[in-house]
Amino acid sequence: MATLETRNLGRRFGPTRAVDDVSLAVGDGELLCLLGPSGSGKSTVLRMLGGFEPPSAGAVLIDGDDVTRLAPERRPTGMVFQSHALWTHMNVFANVAFGLKLRRLPRAEVRRRTEAALDMVGLAGFGERRPTQLSGGQQQRVALARSLVLEPKILLLDEPFASLDQHLRERLREEVREIQRRAGITMVFVTHGQDEALALADRIAVMREGRLEQVDRPEVVYRQPRTEFVAGFIGQMNLIDARVEGGRLFAADMALPVALADGPARLALRPEDLGLAAATDESGARVLRVTDFGAHLAIDLETIDGQRLKATAEPDAGWMAGMRVALRPRRFAVYRDGHLCPMPAQRAGDPPVSLQTLVAGQPAATAGQPVWHHHQH
Amino acid sequence: MSSVDATPIGAGAKARGAGGRRPIGLLLVAAPVALVLGLIIWPVALSVFDTLTVHGPQGLEFSLEAYRFFFTDGFSLRNLWLTIRVAAICTVLLLVISLPIALYLRFSETRLAGYIQALALFPLFVPSILLAYALIRTLGPNGTVDTLLVAAGLPKMPTPYLTPWGPIIGLVWDNLPLTLLIVLAGLANVSRASIEAARDVGAGSLTILWHIILPRIRGTLLVAASFVILGLFSAFTLPYLLGPAAPEMMGPFMRRTIIEVDDPVQARTQAVVTFALCAVFALFYVRSVARSRREQTS
Repeated sequence: MATLETRNLGRRFGPTRAVDDVSLAVGDGELLCLLGPSGSGKSTVLRMLGGFEPPSAGAVLIDGDDVTRLAPERRPTGMVFQSHALWTHMNVFANVAFGLKLRRLPRAEVRRRTEAALDMVGLAGFGERRPTQLSGGQQQRVALARSLVLEPKILLLDEPFASLDQHLRERLREEVREIQRRAGITMVFVTHGQDEALALADRIAVMREGRLEQVDRPEVVYRQPRTEFVAGFIGQMNLIDARVEGGRLFAADMALPVALADGPARLALRPEDLGLAAATDESGARVLRVTDFGAHLAIDLETIDGQRLKATAEPDAGWMAGMRVALRPRRFAVYRDGHLCPMPAQRAGDPPVSLQTLVAGQPAATAGQPVWHHHQH
Repeated sequence: MSSVDATPIGAGAKARGAGGRRPIGLLLVAAPVALVLGLIIWPVALSVFDTLTVHGPQGLEFSLEAYRFFFTDGFSLRNLWLTIRVAAICTVLLLVISLPIALYLRFSETRLAGYIQALALFPLFVPSILLAYALIRTLGPNGTVDTLLVAAGLPKMPTPYLTPWGPIIGLVWDNLPLTLLIVLAGLANVSRASIEAARDVGAGSLTILWHIILPRIRGTLLVAASFVILGLFSAFTLPYLLGPAAPEMMGPFMRRTIIEVDDPVQARTQAVVTFALCAVFALFYVRSVARSRREQTS
């Protein structure tokens, strides 16, 4: 039951700015994912929230109270570390109970709460085991229980499932989500996995080189990436060098109507938004490879000017390697200097009719407006 | 059927493979084993044999006379007792001094830590004879410390030179690098995250030291203590140059017994007693290593 806020948070290591001007607000009971590539500063932000790293600039507020100078042991935060960081000389029960014992709670209550926490993470009856006797997933659950047992206002998770295999990761992810909903706990979850962020988060904060690129709900981050970096980082995206001439954008063998000044630009196309049609001659893109994923086909293409693209199609679409195809984008976005180009909605009558220019304007101004139309085909 | 046949064939191949490697392994071990046997075990066995026999009228006879003498001779016992006391004090001092330094070096991120480590390891590169004379010049009567005290208008200090504290100071200085390196190696196993996790649940510095760090390096501290004690029992230069004439530590005592008193059997007896004491600590060490191996593999 708590809110978390950072104001212009910054951290320098020597001359490098690991974190620069990060202002975030996390609502009560919200799960925010900090997402970014390695070295983007997301872990440093989390460590500053937990008190393990002193900020060089800015402030951290929990429930409106400034905790910037507070040591970790005095903050109402709990942290789950990537490496579990269990104390191997203690058994599982002692690991979870350690924080409660430090608070000098009655022995019976320590036992009750520890067992409840172990039960919550599905490890009831594991108390007497040593951490080294547990699997990686079980160890991470103990680490989770160790934090949860103290009922922190804010739970911080630093890539907690990075060392686990895909299957286990997905299961634990769901469990964390479930615990978070049940306990109504405010969480900040650091990950470099976009799947994890999309599956878990109420909102995603995408970081790059210490700065926030975009903070939005997962579907907005996916469908309306504000920068070219976010577009390329979240989900699969074809980013193609293009140029605008006389209201038309030329990329590969496509010509798309845009309302932009002439000059170079980058065309962004999701594989699922790239429609394919059988080409009548040899001038189209060539199908390099077709991978059948059951629910859809993943198609690798090479355009006539040698660019590699990805597209998806229905499983029974019948595409095969070696075929020639014409590209029929259903939705696209254009970036210039790394930023999304605001464009008015498509002008009526612009050929080709099957295209729709689906680009958001200023997200704040257009919020609530149906700027992204799905083309039914 | 084929799978049933395959098992003994596979097992046979495995056994041959292991047998084929064995001569090389034995050869590799042979050289050090031969050296240890020829240069250590054999002379030790001869010495022990010498201390347990006397020349009687019928040739060599078994006798505990040498040990009876050692353990009834007040002078010998005082020397042994002094050695044990100095070793104990040095070990405690070394652990108490090196633990905070090691903790600082392990968990500090400042550049200063590098210089402090270099400074702490410096004694490793100073021969103990130089150290002994340097300590005489600084801590001896009218040495540097006295000069400074007088210049500051303070009374001179009682010098540790030629008291048991002389070798204690020298031995602590001399053994600090080794102890520090061992403790540092042990601390390397204590991850920063495990300490941060403890802070996260509300533990202060002392709680972390007592409940998180010390339990993890208990074995290491035992190893360090065993190493230091073994070194102290065989120390010679520093006790010889800095220590009192009587009682004296076992190193100088053995040298004097064989060279000045010309009593090789008694010198060997002293050596065997010292060796037996060291063996007890060596046993501690071996057991602690074996236990940590077991914990790692389990």
